[in-house]
Amino acid sequence: MSGDTKEHPTPATVTAWLRDEGIVELEETFPADGDLFLAGLDSMAVMQLVVAAEERFGAVLGPADLAKDRLATPIALARLLEEKRA
Amino acid sequence: MKDLVDVVVIGGGSAGLAAAVTAAREGATVRLLERHGFLGGMGTASLVHTFCGLYLLRQEPEAVLANPGLPSEIAGRMIAATGQGPVRMGRVDVLPQHPVEFVRIADELVAGEPSLDVRWHTEVTGASRDGDGWEIAWSCRGQAGKTRAAAVVDASGDAVLADWIGAPAEMTESPKLQRPAYVFGVQGVESSNDPLTLAGWLVEGVRAGDLPSAALGLTFRSSGRPGESFGTLDLTGAEQQDGYDPLDPACLSRLEVEGRKVASAAVNFLRARANGWQRAFVSHWPARAGVRESRRWMGETRLLGPDILSGRRFGDEIALATWPLELRETAKGAKLRFPEGDRPAGIPLGCLRVKGEDRLFVAGRCISCDHDAQASIRVMGTGFATGQAAGLAAATRADGGEMTEVIKRLRPVF
Repeated sequence: MSGDTKEHPTPATVTAWLRDEGIVELEETFPADGDLFLAGLDSMAVMQLVVAAEERFGAVLGPADLAKDRLATPIALARLLEEKRA
Repeated sequence: MKDLVDVVVIGGGSAGLAAAVTAAREGATVRLLERHGFLGGMGTASLVHTFCGLYLLRQEPEAVLANPGLPSEIAGRMIAATGQGPVRMGRVDVLPQHPVEFVRIADELVAGEPSLDVRWHTEVTGASRDGDGWEIAWSCRGQAGKTRAAAVVDASGDAVLADWIGAPAEMTESPKLQRPAYVFGVQGVESSNDPLTLAGWLVEGVRAGDLPSAALGLTFRSSGRPGESFGTLDLTGAEQQDGYDPLDPACLSRLEVEGRKVASAAVNFLRARANGWQRAFVSHWPARAGVRESRRWMGETRLLGPDILSGRRFGDEIALATWPLELRETAKGAKLRFPEGDRPAGIPLGCLRVKGEDRLFVAGRCISCDHDAQASIRVMGTGFATGQAAGLAAATRADGGEMTEVIKRLRPVF
């Protein structure tokens, strides 16, 4: 399945996806600019995120994409995932 | 001739070390029986390089020690040795520790107590009643011996004494049991690597089929020494076979082999791909894989998950549990459950005691509690605290003293 048949990531869908996949435990009310690392995102969770992002959004993330500030909030992460859609 | 001491401590991990040193400082003659050639348990033999549970949970900056006495003393000695103070990771304060320094600090603590005699390379093999006290059987390289003691502390981590004397114990079923960790040392790492970039490389390796999917359970952290990192690999525990059982030698053996295999593959892959890793190599294996949870005592009081989460306090508490429930029921990283208002919970002396046994005490990860509460109290900082309490209780009992004295002496310090 190619990237463009897959859903476009938004801060809200990214938040729900992180929660549903069990990558980070987030409250329903978690803000779009909330700090995901403070909420429990760590390097092991980032590995799950990378694997799951390809499946869900068709976004392929490589080592060079995984800078802390690009993953730090649902807004930043949605932007990164959109940019990396195949 | 059988030898006779006031207190025998089974196992020299964080809890056993604290128990033995505390009992000796009370004037008891103490024999500490330890299977390795050094003390420290998970923090040395299994290379777990962080002391958790030493500090209170709090919003404000600055770490505040939760349990005075030996836990605080060991924290101070470690800070002096490494030059590294506590670090806030997310919402918790932890103390980075170096296993090499911990071995030496334990040696210093032992050397300071002439009435404490450590027997390394000694595996405890059985226990039986001896009048009011205990007779503990041990073996060293095929040579068997027995030590008599007025009181005994089980700091084995696996509640081994419960099994020998037929006392009530329990173990959570395999699917929920906390997964084990395999920690190894790496040297020759030239640049301080962002753990996220390394995580990205590991996923690349798994995607390309160069690494097994188990590599997705691996994280690296600098040890604080030049060019040195620790890799921590969360294993499923049931490597290639069903049913993780941390008391089964065949299962434990599979953990060791799988840990070394995944670690070797990951370091080889990173050496080929990751910047600054061209000269990296695995520098040390752990003496044993790190088991987080196994058999626990069922004592006078059973500390429960809700007690930790509500910050419950007890009239007979002897230490504070401050670490959140750190659930590792899968090999996909930790899930933390924090107590209401970040409040610490009390650990009652009843969790260290067994009904009808007044010369037997338990310390460390196998004290009486449920699976959820164990996810908080198992950490080394709390192990020092329950060890200290068990050591004080055992020395007090061996001297004919009362438990009310133990509570009175430990309680006011919080």
